[in-house]
Amino acid sequence: MWDAVVVGGGLAGWIAGIRAAQRGKKVLLVTEGVGTLFYFSGIFDYGDIEGLRHLPKHPYTLFNSEAIAQGQHFVQEICPEYIINETPQSAFTVLGTVRQGDLMPRNMILPDRQEQGRFVLLVPEGLKDFFPEVVIANMAREFPGWQVSAKRMRVDALAEWVKLGKSVSSIDYSAIWRSEEGQRVLAHEIEEIKRQYQVGNKPQEKIVVVLPSLVKEYVDFSRTKPCIEEFSLPVLEMSSFVPSPHGRYFAEYLKHRFTDLGGELMIGARAVSLNQESPSENKARTCQEVIVNSKGKSLCLKGKKFILATGGLLGGGIKVGMARKSIHEGVFDLPLFVPKEWSEPQFFASQPFAQIGVETDELMRPLDPARGEVVWDNVHVVGRMLAHWDPWTQRCGGGVSVTSGYVAAELV
Amino acid sequence: MDSRDELAARLDACQKCNMCTAQCPVAKVNPRFIGPKGLGPDMERFRRGQINLDETMLDDCSNCKTCELTCPSGVKITEMILGARRAASKARHKNTMGLRLGLRGYILGRNEYLGKLGVIWPTLTNQVLKIKLVRLALDKTLSISKNGPLPAYGKPLKIQPDKVGIGTNTNKQVVYFPGCYTRFNEGDTGRILIRLLEHLGYKTTVPDFHCCGLPLEANGQFGKADKNGRYNLELMRPYLEAGIPVITSCTSCGLTLKEDYPKLETSSAQLIGAQAYDLFEFLWQLHEKGELPLDFQEVRASYGYHPPCHLKAQGIGTPALRILGLIPGVKIRNLDAGCCGLSGSYGFKAEKYKKAMKIGSSLFEAINVGSQHGDFQSMTTECGVCKVQIVHGTGIPTEHPVHILAKAYRLID
Repeated sequence: MWDAVVVGGGLAGWIAGIRAAQRGKKVLLVTEGVGTLFYFSGIFDYGDIEGLRHLPKHPYTLFNSEAIAQGQHFVQEICPEYIINETPQSAFTVLGTVRQGDLMPRNMILPDRQEQGRFVLLVPEGLKDFFPEVVIANMAREFPGWQVSAKRMRVDALAEWVKLGKSVSSIDYSAIWRSEEGQRVLAHEIEEIKRQYQVGNKPQEKIVVVLPSLVKEYVDFSRTKPCIEEFSLPVLEMSSFVPSPHGRYFAEYLKHRFTDLGGELMIGARAVSLNQESPSENKARTCQEVIVNSKGKSLCLKGKKFILATGGLLGGGIKVGMARKSIHEGVFDLPLFVPKEWSEPQFFASQPFAQIGVETDELMRPLDPARGEVVWDNVHVVGRMLAHWDPWTQRCGGGVSVTSGYVAAELV
Repeated sequence: MDSRDELAARLDACQKCNMCTAQCPVAKVNPRFIGPKGLGPDMERFRRGQINLDETMLDDCSNCKTCELTCPSGVKITEMILGARRAASKARHKNTMGLRLGLRGYILGRNEYLGKLGVIWPTLTNQVLKIKLVRLALDKTLSISKNGPLPAYGKPLKIQPDKVGIGTNTNKQVVYFPGCYTRFNEGDTGRILIRLLEHLGYKTTVPDFHCCGLPLEANGQFGKADKNGRYNLELMRPYLEAGIPVITSCTSCGLTLKEDYPKLETSSAQLIGAQAYDLFEFLWQLHEKGELPLDFQEVRASYGYHPPCHLKAQGIGTPALRILGLIPGVKIRNLDAGCCGLSGSYGFKAEKYKKAMKIGSSLFEAINVGSQHGDFQSMTTECGVCKVQIVHGTGIPTEHPVHILAKAYRLID
């Protein structure tokens, strides 16, 4: 009997699992694949928390501001490189445009626009989906007072790739930067930049090196040799693009935090249904076990609490069938809130389908929207599965996932 | 079949997100490998148009199944690649591999016969395989790497005839599928496992099984693999029909029994999936029923644990850690630092040896760092060849977790 069975290995699921394990609970996390963290930019968006809390039924209305702050501090506790600030901070995207974010790694935060200086964009040879000319033009427009120049570079370890004319994914490059060889090459490049721009006539110029695919965070010194050295110039990371190196390393780091705290990971297994205690009249039902398809047979996983973190339409928690408007939640078959019209013609407008999800009470227990009653007593719904929010236009995806995961873990 | 399964079957579920390629241990070290997305769903469209690939490229896939575990859309990528290899091996036209690689595949797939030969005089075989000139000759003639950690042979595990007979107290009876590695290279592990099951009150039968078929499949010998599967299923049939569980201690044999055998066209194929258990999965089930004795003696030792890829692919979590966690004194650290690189016989191949070592490098680093920190002194893992590769890559002693449990039950020292 597990204290908690978390279904789903995305951001909300991992946060719930790690926090519950940290509280000394016996936790099992069941996930079919690696989850949508591979789409992670490296930045947690919280959005306009106070404004969103005035929207009826928005997930933020379920949490007090203390819980939201606790979730933020928990992220920082797990990854001390994340900086909590009163006001939003800014970072470069891989296109060289500037984006705001609420919780971002120290190495991503942009310098003050009012200052003057020089950005040197390091362009790794053959980096996939990276367009230096576009990036430079965008950076120059965003920082009018700054000089922007580029420096192309190559790494011996990838010589074979280059010879074949094959592009290199940012995940493969990020692995190089985390290796001893990559650190050496970078140190060398940075020394050259320094020589080129500082020895000249303007010794006072502030120089900031920008390197796409660099991920300095999420290093686990109990499993890797320490080799991150400080460079002689500041090096800025850019936010990640799919498949995301930040997401890849963050997912692995969260997995190790979770299992190091005694949590158990069951990957490659899909939760499909549940068994319940036979309900007495007019009472919320209690889930006793979830049924999981492993290879060859079904496993019954008994738990006191179940945390549903299977994601929404993108993560696969909500399934849309071929028949018109056929839609359901895949594990517990929970009732879903579905708006009358699913889409609206303006592509970038807030799309009604984004609001699809499970309505809950203040303890994130699923509600039947028709009757307003709690359906399952010991099931908590977290992350993208919650109804009535839109991560794209409200920019609060990280905030809702972290907070709901953290709060659910406190209920275990 | 739900809507997701239909989609997965139709290959359109692949959204081209490239996460599988980003996680693929082979693509990371081999630029000539187009990766699981390319080799699986992308090329599948060409294959449906009867345009077939060079078989050697299909052969670059190490069959670790990491891509299937990674895919957020449930696409059966390795299955597609294996299907393509199966088709290519049948076609045998200009795209097939040369005679030398074909012969190597024939030999590496026959680990059962190699085992049977090897154990006739294990010390002699081991000495001969240690001779550099012999290894060089194997490298030059068969492209079997002269550096690869070919496992040593030992006292073989004998088959255990069914002494009780089916029908008498079947609920205290199990069939053990030891697999070639345990049978010919590490008989001790098999003997300890049988003693342990006996200690728990189970009569264990070990029929004269053939190799599970996975090494044959991995070396392109699909017809022979299926034949082995049907032969083994026929041996299991009376036990399966009586509801007797089949226990594996090798995670790759276990995966084959659970994933591949149900697809074979025999009556017992319907039963094997639900009745095949990894040893610790079986023990955990006993524990949940309150039938696992907990009279352990303290075992003061710390271990690093490596979860094999083919254990992860079974979707049962890490039951060995759950069981070992019940033993007082045992400290275990789950490293989970990626594939060891050997992948059955992949790392034995001359052109793949270095890549296999590079694949295993993050695991080796995690082991070295952990042991230097004093987190553990030795390693434990269920998979025999992972073990061989870990010892080869780090020099750290490694054993099957059943040894630790047997110590706790005072069955061995």
